[in-house]
Amino acid sequence: MSSDRQESDSAIHEDDAGTVTRGLEERLVDSVKNHDGVSRRAVLGGLAIAGGSAIAGTGATRSDDDTGDSNDETMGFGAPGTYTEEQFDPHGFLREFNTGDSTNERPSRFGENDYNLNAGVYEENGQTVREFNFVAVPVEQEILPGITFPMWTFNGQVPGPTIRVEEGDLVRVNFTNGFPDMAHTIHPHLRNLNPRMDGIPQNGPGLIDSGESFTYEWQAQPVGTHLYHCHMLPLKAHVHRGMYGSMIVDPKPENVRENPRQYIDYHGPITDEVREMAAERARSRNMISHADYSPEGFDGIDEMVMVMNGFDTNFDGDNEVYGVNTRGFCYAPARTDAYNGEWEAGETKHPIEIDGNERQRVHLLNTIEFDFVNSFHCHSQFFDYYDAGTTLFPNRKTIDTVLMCQAQRGILEFDYSNHEPGLYMFHAHQSEFAELGWMSFFEVN
Amino acid sequence: MTTDPKSDGGVAQSPNQPFGLPRWVIGIVPILLLGLVIGGFVATTPLAGVDGGEPLPDVSIDYTTLPNDDTIRLHVTNNAPEPVTISQVHVDEANWQFEMTGAGGDRTLEPLESATIEIPYSWMEGYDYGVTVVADNGATFGTTIVAANSSPGLTGQVVWTLAVIGVLIGIVPIALGIMWFPFMQTMSEKWLNAVLAFSAGVLGYLVFDGGFEAFETAQSVPSGYSGPLLVVLGISGAWLLLQAVTDWLTDDEEESRLSLAYSAALGIGLHNLAEGLAIGAAFATGRTSLGMFLIIGFMIHNVTEGPVIVAPLADGNRPSLAHFVAFGLLAGSPAILGGWIGVSTRSPLLNTLFLAIGVGALLQVVFDIGDIVRRSGSIRAAPNVMGFAIGLLFMYATGLFTL
Ligand SMILES: [Cu+2]
Repeated sequence: MSSDRQESDSAIHEDDAGTVTRGLEERLVDSVKNHDGVSRRAVLGGLAIAGGSAIAGTGATRSDDDTGDSNDETMGFGAPGTYTEEQFDPHGFLREFNTGDSTNERPSRFGENDYNLNAGVYEENGQTVREFNFVAVPVEQEILPGITFPMWTFNGQVPGPTIRVEEGDLVRVNFTNGFPDMAHTIHPHLRNLNPRMDGIPQNGPGLIDSGESFTYEWQAQPVGTHLYHCHMLPLKAHVHRGMYGSMIVDPKPENVRENPRQYIDYHGPITDEVREMAAERARSRNMISHADYSPEGFDGIDEMVMVMNGFDTNFDGDNEVYGVNTRGFCYAPARTDAYNGEWEAGETKHPIEIDGNERQRVHLLNTIEFDFVNSFHCHSQFFDYYDAGTTLFPNRKTIDTVLMCQAQRGILEFDYSNHEPGLYMFHAHQSEFAELGWMSFFEVN
Repeated sequence: MTTDPKSDGGVAQSPNQPFGLPRWVIGIVPILLLGLVIGGFVATTPLAGVDGGEPLPDVSIDYTTLPNDDTIRLHVTNNAPEPVTISQVHVDEANWQFEMTGAGGDRTLEPLESATIEIPYSWMEGYDYGVTVVADNGATFGTTIVAANSSPGLTGQVVWTLAVIGVLIGIVPIALGIMWFPFMQTMSEKWLNAVLAFSAGVLGYLVFDGGFEAFETAQSVPSGYSGPLLVVLGISGAWLLLQAVTDWLTDDEEESRLSLAYSAALGIGLHNLAEGLAIGAAFATGRTSLGMFLIIGFMIHNVTEGPVIVAPLADGNRPSLAHFVAFGLLAGSPAILGGWIGVSTRSPLLNTLFLAIGVGALLQVVFDIGDIVRRSGSIRAAPNVMGFAIGLLFMYATGLFTL
């Protein structure tokens, strides 16, 4: 884009005086370098010496004094200020799972854009149906303190609401396009047996126009942490602007016990022990949507959803803000003292508090646009990784960094039980992403 | 040609009382009608149908300074007709803390308001740094600090150093050039005219040299101030003002020649002020290695400016020596002043204005020299044309070594 939000980086306005001087030096160097064996470096070096010695009283004019006691300085890195817009709370989003249960309604966080998301759980033709209401609406959402971005959203939030269902369920999504002038769709990353429900322009209802509604019905399979997003063209724009969210399909322990090979990447003999281990893992995965799987109370797991994303605020095809769950630095301390290790939590910017005795399960999704890959790296810790969450035994054990292409997702499991209480950083291990917002902390208690 | 008033077929009118109304009424009518039209325009908002949306934000980073090795300072201006809020700052594509001063205590810049952004950043000498300010709507405005180096500010040592450089490149060569005066007095009128034409060539070169540079620095002027137009105004304003003053001051030939010499000295002084600004600004960007070679180059370049000033006087009686001292100081010392201004304020606006005024002053002198030559001969005489051309070429040749 040429005019609005133009990045004037390209037209480098160097200080004119610097240009003049550099011009002078260049010209001098050029005029002198043709003389026998005088190198450019020698000329410039000679200039510096000549300049210093030839002019009476000229010493080094650069001031070398250290500005005070650096121990008192706070580190300058990070985005100053706090978030002011309250319509989206990334801390609330982190642990919010919507199962369709309308009796367990979430607080109306988005006001008129909340649209009664959980529409009910019921039986139909011997199948459990979980029904949701989705509305596409444009919303300005704050992505860094003081900076808003014009989002295209599902239900007024980016990322869109996290849906959590059980394998074998029917997911029914009543989608209404609340945009005044733009068509959208919802495309699920599921094993979807009906092409009409793929949510693309070419199939079934195609594009859902402004004011129109359509009910998508999806089979909840396979087990895993999945993604849904708008598939309207230009795809890049609709994804970048925020039309995505996560859909978690939990395994049924009895299915796993019956047919463990489907759920584990394991080629040895299926002993009773392996069978039970897999079923137990399924049970642990499923406790959120099914409290009845842990009648005696199962509280050893802390589950979180982290959607890695970025925003190209000046529309030059390169992101200016990176984050997990949309806001840059929102899970980082409001203020740190780089030298004394002291830090402060803010109202709107504070680390994720976790219990050192609980196992942490992070559903990680990458919806970054304009960059090929994103990554997750945690400090002082290693995790087990389940690619796409489709297996119950980890695909990779004991890693501290995972790389993800766009739409790639997985489950990370780790705990800080051996660690001292305090701050533990995690961030994208693309330094640029980290320094532009994708940098966060766990506060282990 | 007839002087009879022509009728358009209507009522014959008295030229003093059109439509039988008093003159002042007729004079005021168009203004009243204009008010009516503007009022109607505002009231009916006929442009509502072609509303192009909000004006685009436009913030410039006018210049950057590095006061110490833990600080980057940005000087920003809002060029757009709407206020803009600076919400974040990037250094090399990383969010950084910053303090903003000069915008009334907040981070919102009113139209044409300027402010200073201070970033606590430990930069390293010689590296390039990309700095970007991010507005509340995500628009970004950036610049690059090339080969970072401390900006010294106006310390005692810098004042002294710039004074020495100013004397060396300003006063010394001009004083040396003025010493050609006795030699010039021995020249015939024909050859003196050629020397005058040579001076005009020298000054003409400086007009273009300074003019181009003024337009170049105008690029860095906050766009709200329309840099290039400022150059045009500066040049024409200085020229016309100087012309008016010299015309008003002088009637007789002798005095007019003296005043022309002063005009030339003033014009050259303003030119040297700009040279000083460039040197001071170079100091301010930390490029303190303006070597001996450069100073010698400037001296050779500027030595021609001396005879240019006194050439108009060579034809008549020698004025008192005090005048010659005044010429040297007027033409040479602004180099010192320029250095001091350049190192303490890094404003491209001021820089551009000084350059433009200098060009205007030089232009006036060129035309005055043309008048003198015409009074005692023809501008198109071969020695004069050659003199002018040699003046241009000479400056171009010496300019190859310096500015
Ligand atoms: Cu869309």
